[in-house]
Amino acid sequence: MILEIAVLVSGLGVLLIDLWTPADGKRALGYGAAAAVALILAYSFKLDATAAQFAFGQSYVLDGLALFFKRFFLLAAVVVLVMSVDFADRIQTGISEFYALVLFALAGMMFAASANDFTLLFVSLELITITFYVLNSFQRNQQRSLEAGVKYLILGALSSAFLVYGIALVYGTSGTFQFSELAGNITAVSQKPIFLLGMILIVAGLGFKIAAFPFQMWAPDVYQGSPAPATAFLAVGSKAAGFVLLLRLLFGVAPEIARHWKPLLIGISAVTILYGNLCAIPQRNLKRLLGYSSIANAGYLLLGIAAVSASGAAAILYYLSGYLFTTLAGFMVIAVALRQVEGEDVTALAGLGRRSPLLAAAMTLAMVSLAGVPPLAGFFGKFLLLKAAVQQGATQPAFYWLVAVAIFGVVVSFYYYFGVIRAIYWSNDASQAAPISIALPMRVALWFCIAGMFYLGLFPDAVLGFVEQAVKSLRV
Amino acid sequence: MFDDFKPEDVVWIILFLPLLAAAAIGLFTKRDGKFSAQLSISAVVLTFLVSCGVFLMFKQTVFDTKLVTATPLNWLHIGELKVDIGLRLDPLSLLMLLVVTGVGAMIHIYSYGYMKEDRCMGRYFGSLSVFMFSMLGIVLANNFVMMFIFWELVGVSSYLLIGFWYEKPSAADACKKAFITNRLGDFGFILGIILVWATLGSVNFDELQQRLLKAPEAWGGVAALAGFLIFCGAMGKSAQFPLHVWLPDAMEGPTPVSALIHAATMVAAGVYMLCRVFFLFGAHSNWPAPLAFLNGVTALDLIAWIGGFTALIAALMAVQQNDIKRILAYSTLSQLGYMVMAVGLTGPTAAMYHLTTHAFFKALLFLGAGSVIYGCHHEQDIWKMGGLNQKMKITWLTFLIGTLALCGVPPFSGFFSKDDILAQAAQHSALLFILATLVAFLTTFYMFRLVFVAFTGGARSEAAGHAHESPKVMVWPLVVLAVPSTLAGFWGIDRFIGRNFGGDHAATTSWLDQLFAPFNHSPLAALFGLLATIVGFSLAYTFYAKAENDPLPEKLGALSRAMRNRFYFDEIYEWLIAATHELVSRLAEFVDRWFIAGLGVRGAHGTTELIGRALRLAQSGNLQTYAFLFVAGLVVVIWFSLK
Repeated sequence: MILEIAVLVSGLGVLLIDLWTPADGKRALGYGAAAAVALILAYSFKLDATAAQFAFGQSYVLDGLALFFKRFFLLAAVVVLVMSVDFADRIQTGISEFYALVLFALAGMMFAASANDFTLLFVSLELITITFYVLNSFQRNQQRSLEAGVKYLILGALSSAFLVYGIALVYGTSGTFQFSELAGNITAVSQKPIFLLGMILIVAGLGFKIAAFPFQMWAPDVYQGSPAPATAFLAVGSKAAGFVLLLRLLFGVAPEIARHWKPLLIGISAVTILYGNLCAIPQRNLKRLLGYSSIANAGYLLLGIAAVSASGAAAILYYLSGYLFTTLAGFMVIAVALRQVEGEDVTALAGLGRRSPLLAAAMTLAMVSLAGVPPLAGFFGKFLLLKAAVQQGATQPAFYWLVAVAIFGVVVSFYYYFGVIRAIYWSNDASQAAPISIALPMRVALWFCIAGMFYLGLFPDAVLGFVEQAVKSLRV
Repeated sequence: MFDDFKPEDVVWIILFLPLLAAAAIGLFTKRDGKFSAQLSISAVVLTFLVSCGVFLMFKQTVFDTKLVTATPLNWLHIGELKVDIGLRLDPLSLLMLLVVTGVGAMIHIYSYGYMKEDRCMGRYFGSLSVFMFSMLGIVLANNFVMMFIFWELVGVSSYLLIGFWYEKPSAADACKKAFITNRLGDFGFILGIILVWATLGSVNFDELQQRLLKAPEAWGGVAALAGFLIFCGAMGKSAQFPLHVWLPDAMEGPTPVSALIHAATMVAAGVYMLCRVFFLFGAHSNWPAPLAFLNGVTALDLIAWIGGFTALIAALMAVQQNDIKRILAYSTLSQLGYMVMAVGLTGPTAAMYHLTTHAFFKALLFLGAGSVIYGCHHEQDIWKMGGLNQKMKITWLTFLIGTLALCGVPPFSGFFSKDDILAQAAQHSALLFILATLVAFLTTFYMFRLVFVAFTGGARSEAAGHAHESPKVMVWPLVVLAVPSTLAGFWGIDRFIGRNFGGDHAATTSWLDQLFAPFNHSPLAALFGLLATIVGFSLAYTFYAKAENDPLPEKLGALSRAMRNRFYFDEIYEWLIAATHELVSRLAEFVDRWFIAGLGVRGAHGTTELIGRALRLAQSGNLQTYAFLFVAGLVVVIWFSLK
């Protein structure tokens, strides 16, 4: 609880300090916010969650899983805040509010990681979604940004409606909001079709968050229109929040139902992978490309959900960790390299290899890691996910088909990921040749992400032990 | 890490000094040719000195216990397969160590003069150091896998050095030819290693020997096949028929390289390897079913006959060559055939003995040839030389010593070692004995043809007329190498190496006794050997002592043409390879164009691209459509999960 309070206080603090800060000093507030979050992250390592601790009458839980995701979100927020500072000159008004909203979204994500109750689940999700409505449309003078905000708002409202409807049905049939209580009499209530309908609606609401098929339509448009830091946070944080809630609900509360739904989950995972990868092929806009890539990655992560096993859950956590470094690195490069370019087309990266070797290397590594090439993080994450799926193949042969589809997706993805690399190093029509200067904190953040990608790919043991510990609090 | 230091770990220095030099040259000093050369030369001289030290240190030990192993590195350990990187010392490797580093040191020094004007001197000496490292790895390896690794490294360094003047198309072709031909043999070699490991369960030489001593039946029915496959490796490296074609072309490299790699050391590696694993060969003559027609023939029989055949055809080819280096190259082929034949006749001692003396006198001959070429302004045709005995006195004398040693004239070193081989043949196979004597006759004939034409008479060209003696740095190695070429027969090398194979050569005392030992030991072989030499010399004298051009083509006609054209082996191979290659490539091209590229790549690419574009149509950007699809999707999911 202390972590969330600290984050909220820093958010409010940013808003307050803003009142006394001269206009040209506001931008640096972001570094302050990043430092505060980094401090909170450091403090989180003093917390011990080997035994689950509860608050608010059991609606808030602090266990291994929650703590893992809280650190995950904090880490992402530090990088996103650093990125926001760099991005500040493209935001006309209220950069301090931008920082504060990032912090509030962060608080929402951290609450989601600890949700042990449908009320907290809903409230934390709404906190995330509503802050993102604002963040996505923060470049108010740009039509595309406004469009992104509106689309996210309306489709988000639609999904929230289904979510809340589902919660109502579940409450109506089981008589409880609480996860622990619900887990106690799950066998009894899972006979009722209305309860199952409620669960489906809730999962659909979460499916919107993670951009899984058929709730993925918003992702490309919103990714494309939003400011780069907001997109990055949306891609990493919001998606991870969706997954922690899915894990909590399907693996923690109702593994029996999840097992029953395996065919459905396999289907969703396969279609999501195919949709994301195939649609990415003709894309020329970088952020839109990453939007489709994020759909495809949701599909890979769903492999772990469909497996309904501890190794599947561990693989999800591992994959998300790698995804954090990879995606943030990618968006950082986009934010810096495409500063003066309208349209964020892939061709704008031409000549990046000469203009800034660091940016070029970071982007290349991010793409290679997303494609799943050893020795980078993405390879090992995909390997763990596929392994978890193959392990289930003995009981359900459909998993082999899923694995085949996933591998096909990986092959397809090479095409567009390496298209980006080709644009960086091998295109001749470089319109600009001036070297790009990168601010020191940004430089540090880039190196940090590169190091993370290599660390997770080369030394998986340490993090693997960590995530296996974290998923112990689930019931699979 | 120095707590458990054993004296034999000094041997590691021998292996790594050349590598250090190579690394330093490759990484830092390549541009400075002179300095790189000095670095490489000091490394090899130091290696030679350490080798001498090691020889003195362990001579007695290896006599008593027969085996010393430097602390092995545990390199690879997967299940049953255990591979160490360990260095093995026994009489065999000690002798080879001295030969390789000693001859190597001389040739390094000689190269300093020969390559002085080449602007890529740094690259040359770097490659030379890589070669020394790899060659020493073969010599010291204590297991098959390690030997194979260094075997391949030697192949690479040979490739680099043959193709040193890569701007010359002939050199570029020759290095490819050498490498690819070697790879063919190495393919058999690695199959043999795998077969040995699969049947005997180890790759370590010592362990293998122990296992075979304890249970000779462990071989099952594959002994002969395994032996032959391993011999394939030697067939490539030591250029035995039918893989002999690369060695003459390898003369495209700088002459010191020809001396070091393609005469004295690397090509001998095949023979060395056969001796190293001689315990694997036995009287097994059962072959697996598809090769049943070979039943009754042991691997050693095959080795002996292939060696003998190579010796004969190479000697015949040498008779009608005109390029001084090529004559020596065919002579090398022929002598290697001798050694291989000796191994096949269960005489590894004789083979190693001849290998050692041959290393001295053939290196001497090649360096002499290099000196001649240098003196005649890069003229290699012997018919454009002549009269060099006046202008290049030291070269002429040392070359003559080398020739006498190669022809087996007593008391030069070659006489003793060649006699050992002849005696071995006389003892085991009358046919091979006749063949070997014939080769001895041919050897004397072609060598004195070379000597008469190139050195005596008058100068036949402008270049030969202006010939001059080479600089000191090149002449001194000749003199130094002339010493063992003359005297190595009195050093008891055969007795030393005999200990490795449990031989019972009695120690003789005075040098006079030693001189006549061959006549006591096997009078038949010694007398026939001498007779062949005398006949060869007199024929060469009649034909060539005063000749202005070659009389043989007229006398022999078609046979002479065939000899000159190397019995058309290259042409046959070329035709065979071209035909099969053409066929295979046409087939592959068809499969690639229509199935892989057409159906596979284009098909897959087209379909995915099409689907991608079609799906994008759904992504219209219209919010109402999105909301509709969202709800429709949800309905499908609900229907699917509740049905």
